[in-house]
Amino acid sequence: MRKVLNWNNMKKIYKKLLISAGIIAVFILIVLSPFHGWARGHVNYITATEDHPLNCFSCHLYNQKTGFIPKLINADYYSPYNLAISGKGDELYIVAEESGELLVADTRKGKVTRKIKVGDKPHSVTCDKNGDFAFVSNQWSDFVSVIDLEKYSVVREIKTGNGPAGLALSPDEKYLYVVNSYSNDVSLINLENGKEWKRFSAGNNPSGIGMNPAKTSLFVTSRRALLAPYGDPVECELTEIEEAGKRIAGRMDIKSVYMLENIEFTPAGDLALIPMIRPKNLIPSIQVEGGFIMTNGITIIEQKENGRTIQLLLDEPNSYYADPFDIAITPDGKRAFVSHAGVDQISAIDLDSLRSFINSHTTEELEYYSNHLGTSCHFVIRRIPTGANPKGMAVSPDGSKLYVAEHLEDRIGVINTGSLETEGSIDLGGPRRITVARKGRRLLNNSKGTFQNQYTCFTCHPEGHEDGLVYNMASKDMGRNLANTQSLRDISETAPYKWNGKNHTIYKQDGLRFSTVLTRNEPFSYEELDALVAYIVTGIPYPPNLVYNRTGELNAMQLRGKALYERTIDKMGNEIPEKQRCITCHPPPYFTNRKFEDVGSLIASDDSMLFDTPHLNNIYASPPYLHHGLALSLEEIWTVYAHKDTHGRVNDLTKIELNELMEYLKSLGDPEFYRDEEKILRAKANPR
Amino acid sequence: MKKNSKTRYIVLLSLLILVVVAAISLPRLFKSEKRALSGESRQSGGIDLSEYPTLESFERAERDDIISSYSDTMPVYGNWKSYTMKDGLPSDKCYTVRIDGDRVLVGTHDGLAVLEKGKWRTYTTEDGLAHNGVVSIDVSALTGDVWLATLGGLNRWSGGKFETFTQFNSGMPNDLVYNVFCYGKDIWVATGGGAGVYDTNKKDWKIFTEMNAPMHEPWTYALTAGDGKVWIAAWGGGVIEYNMQTEQFRDYVDPDGFMEIDLLPDDGLIHDITTATAYSDSILWVSTYFGMSRYDGKNWNGYFDHDSGLAGNFINFVRAEGPVVFVCSDKGLSSFNGKTWITYKKNDEKPDGKALVYRGARVVKEIPLTPSISHNYVIGVDAEDDVLWVATSSGVSRGERIN
Repeated sequence: MRKVLNWNNMKKIYKKLLISAGIIAVFILIVLSPFHGWARGHVNYITATEDHPLNCFSCHLYNQKTGFIPKLINADYYSPYNLAISGKGDELYIVAEESGELLVADTRKGKVTRKIKVGDKPHSVTCDKNGDFAFVSNQWSDFVSVIDLEKYSVVREIKTGNGPAGLALSPDEKYLYVVNSYSNDVSLINLENGKEWKRFSAGNNPSGIGMNPAKTSLFVTSRRALLAPYGDPVECELTEIEEAGKRIAGRMDIKSVYMLENIEFTPAGDLALIPMIRPKNLIPSIQVEGGFIMTNGITIIEQKENGRTIQLLLDEPNSYYADPFDIAITPDGKRAFVSHAGVDQISAIDLDSLRSFINSHTTEELEYYSNHLGTSCHFVIRRIPTGANPKGMAVSPDGSKLYVAEHLEDRIGVINTGSLETEGSIDLGGPRRITVARKGRRLLNNSKGTFQNQYTCFTCHPEGHEDGLVYNMASKDMGRNLANTQSLRDISETAPYKWNGKNHTIYKQDGLRFSTVLTRNEPFSYEELDALVAYIVTGIPYPPNLVYNRTGELNAMQLRGKALYERTIDKMGNEIPEKQRCITCHPPPYFTNRKFEDVGSLIASDDSMLFDTPHLNNIYASPPYLHHGLALSLEEIWTVYAHKDTHGRVNDLTKIELNELMEYLKSLGDPEFYRDEEKILRAKANPR
Repeated sequence: MKKNSKTRYIVLLSLLILVVVAAISLPRLFKSEKRALSGESRQSGGIDLSEYPTLESFERAERDDIISSYSDTMPVYGNWKSYTMKDGLPSDKCYTVRIDGDRVLVGTHDGLAVLEKGKWRTYTTEDGLAHNGVVSIDVSALTGDVWLATLGGLNRWSGGKFETFTQFNSGMPNDLVYNVFCYGKDIWVATGGGAGVYDTNKKDWKIFTEMNAPMHEPWTYALTAGDGKVWIAAWGGGVIEYNMQTEQFRDYVDPDGFMEIDLLPDDGLIHDITTATAYSDSILWVSTYFGMSRYDGKNWNGYFDHDSGLAGNFINFVRAEGPVVFVCSDKGLSSFNGKTWITYKKNDEKPDGKALVYRGARVVKEIPLTPSISHNYVIGVDAEDDVLWVATSSGVSRGERIN
């Protein structure tokens, strides 16, 4: 058959030729002196080392965010995040986070049979008892897709709060509970009319939801700790909703934990189990070898009157099991499985052994064991390896199989719950090649770079954002200079990095110093560092600001706030000094001039220093604020920590005007919205 | 001479009329007084007490008869039981009371007191209250969350946990929160620095002061909402009506502008210094320190202690439930349905008191109450089903409907 030389084929050939020519040209330039000398210096500056391989592609190819090249070198993966199984066990419903689809897989054939387009960044899926409908939460679209499982098509989209994540149907299946992870609440949807009926406030960054076997209560877990000044114990809220009355029944603050992603009950209903991380942010990070940054395990809540809340680690003395995410329990209540997204493993727990352990110890002893690395051997019966970054899990109705969403493997692992061996996998059909950015994403989500796998970059930067904690970093001045974790979202153009701005590139930030200060392990290899930087630069965008700026059009209040933000004259008619104008230090598109400033925020535990002006995109989603994290709300930046006009001119504003300014700040979203404003500002600054 | 005989005739005629009136009315008066005072006299009155096992049951039956005759559909409350510090309240000074299902929430000068399963429990700043002076309480019908207005901020009390909103950590207008009102997802507050509304979904605040609303000054005392509108009792500014759909304001002020007198009756709001608003059955009730106003959307009516059954003109608070408004004054509690007044007063230095049934300004019946409300300085009230709770400057009282 004659091959048709059409335009598409021609394009491919041209592309290949162009790339080849480019590679040859760059190679020639590199080997030629004096260009080589300049390139060496340039790479040394960027990487803050003297021996990083001279590879122009690392930055100039893999770090491109837009245009033709990124499309060429990157690939579209599925990235399965959560999954559910049909009542008969014949179909798996897999949430493909990256492609925005619900994939239907035939468990007998072991392959994907359907792909249904849903919203942006789908998070969870649940099905009704009859298997008529599936419900998919779309975290970046603020709606739930209702899918007819007979027609395999979306039949309805139900509006929710911001960042819908965990889902649960009421026992009568007339209502759907939707956990809104960004707006910190739970929507109760009336499925008859498809409308939100009421909304309950929940913890900070709520995520999972589970109903007890008696069907009387639902429990909502939270990922982030409750906002509190540095020094107060870390506490994470577990919110209880009374199902019959559909009202809040209780709020349990679980001490010393965060990242409570999901919850599961034993079939007998005697225990609730929640994967957890115990962060040690309040003490200097010098004793990493003693588990003094993160430990990982499960919170167990006894479901009886005066039931205890117990925390047990799944870690071992020389091996940690970072980023526990999901928990699944077999229908016979014998075994529980916890996915450790940071170490690519599943812990299999013998629940009778666990019961025996907690029943044979006093509350005081169990409290002691909550920090003990040597207890998991009493109830963990196997560590089962998986593909990259295991997340959601589902047990087959007969309890014989455990399905694991291998998030960064584009695969569903199938584990025999009897033998505890992996017996196969379901390939989702994603790209075979692993791109540089994908490799970087795997690295960011994996703990192999930290001491004994204690934690991952993801641990403190969940979803590439920040964990809301303030850390006491080990440095030469122990116990000084607290650091509020900063987001990694779209940071490529916001250098320098760190609050003190000492790292001028991401290479420097994540390179050798990172291993010295934080990971206490071998630094990333240069190849790994290239990949990590490529992912950070290209793969962590801002979620859409759907609450405060859905369309990009500002409302009247935000416009008034914008005018205050950009004003040059105060209310007394005096010109505001340039340094005291919001717009001076925080110009679009990133709302940072990337310069150093003192805004009067230094506290006694800080060295005398200037701070890198932080960027403000999606600032509404980043409490607490300021380098020390003491400002628990945007308002407090000015009402508590800059009441002498040290952080811009605000003291002449009324409360109404301050609220308008806050509304404008909350409206700030993706930098791409502000490119035009940036051009206008530049033109004003340089009229020529 | 002619003049003298005419005068004699008038005097004689007057005496005759007096004798006739006395002959008719005196036996009735004696009868009712006796019936109300003692069982012995009742026996002598020829009533068979064997039907009534106790004196109290007889009194109740008698009272029901009287109440049903004189009060139309107006509920009348009796069997009062009062609670003070001796019973477990943190303070006798009670600012507000709210019935929340099986429990009762009382805002006092020294914390929040909760009566549940017969026991009082106190919550203070140590538990997370913004301030111990709790002056207003409302419960969200949607979520069951309790919202507490305090003299140092606003609290959401949900699932046993207090969350605090202040003028520093949020967009709330001012920490001096006088009143809170839940309306769907919105939480409205009246503060010393303006009225505010918190959107619990969007988590942001809007503020209304003299800068952006037709107020005399930012000081607001109370508010209520219904039918898509909010009515703000603005100090010195009358009532500000805010339409939530159009986001437009309308103000109601005293048309005569006099501070001392209401020059023309029923011409509008009786005074610009308003203390509370209540809305129910399409009727807006507005209290002031100089009397009360009623607005049906078309006409205003004014009520004072001298021309109605109002216990006193100095009114702290009003709450409307269905067609009935409960009015908390410095001289007792009044209730009114547009036709009949019932005013509760405690007798000086005694635990007992009375309920006075009025038609207009005329007392048509006086119902003795033993015991009565705990104090005549009434600050808060709440009614649900057949129970009425009253917060006073000296304890809180619970009454049951007796008609």
